[in-house]
Amino acid sequence: MTVIEARDVAVHYGGIKAVDGVDLALEPGRICGLLGPNGSGKSTLLAALTRLVPLTRGTLLLDGAEYQNAAPASLARRGVARTFQTVRLLPDLTVAENVRLGADLRRRAPAGVVDDAIERTGLGDVVRARPGELSYGMSRRVEIARALATSPRLLLLDEPTAGMNQAERQEISELLRRLRDEGLTQLLVEHDVQLMIDTCDDLVAMNFGAVVAHGSPAEVVTDPDVQRAYLGKKWRAHA
Amino acid sequence: MIAWYEANVVLIQSMFISLLLALSIQVPFRAGVFSLAGIGSYGIGAYTAAIVTLQLGWPPFAAIGAGMLLAAVIAYLLALVLARLSGLYLGMATIAYSLILSVAVINGGELTGGAQGLFGAVSDLQTGHVVAVAVAAVVLLALSERGRPGRWIDAVREDPELAVSVGVPVTAIRQLSFVVGGLLGACAGAMNTLLRTTVTPEEVGFHLVVLALTMIIVGGSRSWAGALIGAVVFTWLPTVLAFVGEWQTLVYGVVVAVAAIFVPTGILGLAQDFVRRLRRPALPGGRP
Repeated sequence: MTVIEARDVAVHYGGIKAVDGVDLALEPGRICGLLGPNGSGKSTLLAALTRLVPLTRGTLLLDGAEYQNAAPASLARRGVARTFQTVRLLPDLTVAENVRLGADLRRRAPAGVVDDAIERTGLGDVVRARPGELSYGMSRRVEIARALATSPRLLLLDEPTAGMNQAERQEISELLRRLRDEGLTQLLVEHDVQLMIDTCDDLVAMNFGAVVAHGSPAEVVTDPDVQRAYLGKKWRAHA
Repeated sequence: MIAWYEANVVLIQSMFISLLLALSIQVPFRAGVFSLAGIGSYGIGAYTAAIVTLQLGWPPFAAIGAGMLLAAVIAYLLALVLARLSGLYLGMATIAYSLILSVAVINGGELTGGAQGLFGAVSDLQTGHVVAVAVAAVVLLALSERGRPGRWIDAVREDPELAVSVGVPVTAIRQLSFVVGGLLGACAGAMNTLLRTTVTPEEVGFHLVVLALTMIIVGGSRSWAGALIGAVVFTWLPTVLAFVGEWQTLVYGVVVAVAAIFVPTGILGLAQDFVRRLRRPALPGGRP
């Protein structure tokens, strides 16, 4: 059974078709990457999957049960966590408190879940800092830590390595793969194609709100439609 | 000390009533809900307490409770009706609610005493009771600013979309802030009526909106402490400014304008920033 599934999902804003007829299915314990140029509908699809925008049409399934009418806040309780395209931290709270906000979901969060999330994301030295005192890359890590503190079964990540240097990106890639090996299903939106190839088990390419290719990373980056729309020909040699 | 207390007992009572009034809008503001419905609730509490005391002879805490209950129910219904509004639009709608109430009591006939209001609502409510209620309210609100409830309310105010993504019941918290604001406003109004034994339409009019907003702007809206600062400042400021005579209103205006422009987080925010700067450690991975 799939963890999460979108069937013929569309999100239209007036005449603009941000997402139009997308089918997507995430298998348990795998990392699926969403590729595509800016404005292709990746973030809107994430917002639709997390019920932050209403669907124009389509069906959403979580563990096989429809949830397109569910309250957004209920998804976190069902094990769906996400990060956002722009850093969204509470400015008056410390790093530790921002991460704890994720664990607040449960009255009795598993012991050590906050410490574990902080340690895994390398935030141990800045737990008392406030977001305004952090670099962009560190702020991104706090977002990931907060999502992990919800003890998710499914993690949706919207450009989690934006603003990070190459070494930091590598660290995050390794973290995501470790989490995958522990059974955490993930949907990853990124513009760093090499990171996507190194990290993801499957890739889905979008353009103009629709899926133009899906398959293994090698298949997708060599797909002529994907190269034309987004990648260019240099990825032919890589694959 | 006793002589000072006896000379200033009315101001002391006013300070604690003002504190509850300021809290009635600070609570929704803290949750990011720009609601001034607490002012309308003040009027509901004030008139309900007077009516049940005069007509039914209820004891003070039953009269206060009746006002609070009625205001809470109306506040909840208002929260449902105004759920789609936010920001200035919500502020305007809730001011309208307060103004409609003040018009309603003028036209309420014998029940509300019309333009003259109600007189003779005598009770045995004491200053100590008012202080105890205000302290209890402050303790409960202070607890709500800590730990899980505090983080949830911060999340609802700062970023509702983020809040729902981590499972925070945003709608319920917003509705609760309406209801708690209603309870506090009604409590303030009811106690003021029972202390003074009278209530008139002027006492529940637009000037209360200005007073409550002023206290929160100058004191700070992020914490109960801001409401306390505002209540203390605006209760005792007239006494301090007595020497400027007829220029008092102008000085008032300047104080509010300066606070709004240069200290948008209020005196409380200023103090918190100062303490943070003193405590700030050097951070690895911080901004260069």
